[in-house]
Amino acid sequence: MSDAQTDARRIAQDERDRARFEEEALELSDQVYRVARRLVSSREEAEDLVQETYARAFRSWRSYTPGTNLRAWFFRILTNLNIDRGRRVQRTPDLQPIEEGDYYLYNRLEQDGGVDDEEQVVERLSQDTIVQALSAVPHNFRDVLVLVDIGDFSYQDAAQILDVPIGTVMSRLHRGRRILKKELAESTVNGGES
Amino acid sequence: MIDPCAKCEEVLQPYLDRELTDAERAEAEAHLDDCSYCRKRYRFEESLRRYVRDAAAEQMPPELKAKLAALRTPLV
Repeated sequence: MSDAQTDARRIAQDERDRARFEEEALELSDQVYRVARRLVSSREEAEDLVQETYARAFRSWRSYTPGTNLRAWFFRILTNLNIDRGRRVQRTPDLQPIEEGDYYLYNRLEQDGGVDDEEQVVERLSQDTIVQALSAVPHNFRDVLVLVDIGDFSYQDAAQILDVPIGTVMSRLHRGRRILKKELAESTVNGGES
Repeated sequence: MIDPCAKCEEVLQPYLDRELTDAERAEAEAHLDDCSYCRKRYRFEESLRRYVRDAAAEQMPPELKAKLAALRTPLV
């Protein structure tokens, strides 16, 4: 085989690899948007963030190792861009203890109006209340919460995406969920007056 | 001795995240079988997770999908 033929084959293979990568990446777009939408505050910002993520991923596709976790690789670009673009103010995590435990929201709802069916009581929470409560969770905690609870990532994947130790993921998740439940309780119980 | 309900509350999140070891999960489940107080709260929490996920989900605008497809590298 001549050098020209070898080059032509290599280029053709490269094209196929890239096309396959781009197809697989586009299949993730619904998940990428869903997570992006909860990381930033507006739909426009989420759309910009998703487009930038895809533009960067398509440019740097060679740095992805086929057979490894494409979702995690992709979401790492997304979260890094979100930080880089200064859409968020990096804050030192709030280390004040939260007194409310994990049963806090249930206990408050139970006190407020009783709980006949614990699987239906969540319906007392409106969609707007949930979206607002999520956006009230500070960014450091919300990033982890959104990746695990909405993006369905494991602790290990979330740690890889955010480049933090797994213990940090666990503690931020723990705290983020408690903050979320506290926000939900405050905006729901007693008509939000408490 | 640690209050078993307090212990159960402590492992609620990793339990629902399926991040407990087999032994830890078995211990939590044994307590949940016996304790309706914790069982109700676990059921609630499980529903809350699903509810939050559904409430937070927002459909991607179709125009955005088209824009992303347009970012693909043109075939040579």
